[in-house]
Amino acid sequence: MIVNKNDFHSFLKKVNNGLGNINEVIVPYRARSDDENPSFHFQRFEENKILFLDFFRTIDPIKILFYLFREKVYPIKNKNLKRVIVGVKACDLKALHLLDKAMLQSGFVDPAYKQWRDNSLIISSDCDYLHETCSCNLVNGHPFPENGFDLNLSVIGGNYFIQIGSERSQEFVELMKKEITVANSTVSDIEIVKANREKVFNRLIEKNNNLTHSGDFSEIRKVEHKSWEEVSEACIGCGACTNICPSCYCLILNDESTDKDFIKVRSYDSCQWYGYARVAGGGTPRPKMTERFRNRYLCKFDYMYKNFGEFGCTGCGRCTEACAAKIDFRQVVKNVSSVAQEVN
Amino acid sequence: MQNPYEVIPADVYEVIQESPLIRTLRFKPKKPITFKTGQFIEVGIPGIGEGPFTPSSSHYIVDDMDVTIMKTGFLTEQVHKLHAGATIGIRGPFGSNYPLEKFKGKDVLILGGGCGLAPLRSLFLTMLHDNKDYNSITFLAGAKTPKDCIYKDEVSEWRKYDNVRFIRAVDEVPPGEQWAEDVCLVTKLLQKINMKPDGNPAIVCGPPVMMKFGTFDLLKYGYKEENLYLSMEKKMYCGFGQCRHCVIGGYYACKDGPVFTYDQIKNEEAIWD
Repeated sequence: MIVNKNDFHSFLKKVNNGLGNINEVIVPYRARSDDENPSFHFQRFEENKILFLDFFRTIDPIKILFYLFREKVYPIKNKNLKRVIVGVKACDLKALHLLDKAMLQSGFVDPAYKQWRDNSLIISSDCDYLHETCSCNLVNGHPFPENGFDLNLSVIGGNYFIQIGSERSQEFVELMKKEITVANSTVSDIEIVKANREKVFNRLIEKNNNLTHSGDFSEIRKVEHKSWEEVSEACIGCGACTNICPSCYCLILNDESTDKDFIKVRSYDSCQWYGYARVAGGGTPRPKMTERFRNRYLCKFDYMYKNFGEFGCTGCGRCTEACAAKIDFRQVVKNVSSVAQEVN
Repeated sequence: MQNPYEVIPADVYEVIQESPLIRTLRFKPKKPITFKTGQFIEVGIPGIGEGPFTPSSSHYIVDDMDVTIMKTGFLTEQVHKLHAGATIGIRGPFGSNYPLEKFKGKDVLILGGGCGLAPLRSLFLTMLHDNKDYNSITFLAGAKTPKDCIYKDEVSEWRKYDNVRFIRAVDEVPPGEQWAEDVCLVTKLLQKINMKPDGNPAIVCGPPVMMKFGTFDLLKYGYKEENLYLSMEKKMYCGFGQCRHCVIGGYYACKDGPVFTYDQIKNEEAIWD
């Protein structure tokens, strides 16, 4: 399908105002318009702001909309608030896919996450520009969505090329067809999208050329602690990397019960913090910073792989961007994986 | 869809001082908690927090449970302040259980020390319920001093069964204390009993250092790695593998454990820490 950009924006405006019983539309806006290096964050749709649906991922990961920093999980209230989230990137879709596996398909269902997930329609979009830390190509990803979306947008000049990714988007598409002109796409449209995707992907490969690693992490646990000490030397253990990681979901369960009711609230935790795995009596399996640093990489490339059959890293590069000690995640992965190859 | 964060209120009706540092809470959950021996529950005090504990009562009783808790940190200190009449919150049960089916017809060895006897008491009581299903049950229990021995009042009852042996040892007897039974490390008791390691299971639970050397001794005496059952204790925070605090190599103590065979986790790091 092809729609005009301005038409689509005016349609979003109507949806945001309650069309189709939808409560809100969330889109990426520029975080600071005066900044030379653009950055984006998810905000509620506003009529007079400029939309950027191409570009790259937002500063904050998609998990902040599905797995909130602080959220009551017992007792659980019904959140039947239908919403549409536009401009989600491929890396964040992969993160949602991982969160689904952890929170919906591991034998238990996180009730709050499930409600957000059930009530959100996801309209993803291709990346047309690259952030300096973008590296999805290093972890089997692409800068354009392949699955996990309800609808996907690709920019072709003044139009959006729309791809349907789920059955449940049908209702939304019907609504859109009633409101704005929707044309059929042609073979040449598909060709343009394909060529553009290839161009961006190649640019990404070129950009990360010197950071490429083997992709085989089966021996990562054999890497000696000395190598980890070297790469983690600068780490101050602030936990920014795990808090901003779209696929990190370690939690603290706070008891906020009153005299009358039991209340459980969960919030983010970080395996980088000393108290993380500490047990009664003071013992902890990872007392040193370097051990906790190592734990994060093993979690992403070994434990998650073991549990979900996929790497826990989406290549969004947010941890590198957020790091107070300027540690480049990609560089660490490259160094460690090359040591792992030698061990092998 | 069951909410794994659901809290089941429970009324504490008795608190037993087992030893200077260990107390048993007896409580009645407002909704029966059906668990399999070896599984754990989260015991919470409203407004304070919760922690993972394995019930120490038989899994045949679901509306009246015991947990035996040692005072060792912030939460357990608060637990020790509870009196009969208090309301606590229970979540669970979570995790893996002792595979009783595999123990049937076997000579079962149970090795425990200190507060590690808590989950083992649950296993033991559950097995006593159908004790004829097992060829024999040998329970070796250790404590630091006679004063630290727990479940004192139940011992004579446990020793009445034909196919059951309950042997105790203390590390030392301080002046002024009386003790007529063995004085040695609990692992030393292994030499005194007539062990039948061949194909038989051994279950170990206790302080990390005791578990470590107990496991190594049992291996030395010929127990097979896959027949050694360990109750691992980590920071099991959520109970179902979501919070990831209790990771042991790619395993989660809460979801894949707490009952592991030594064979499963022998290559993982820091299992005894």
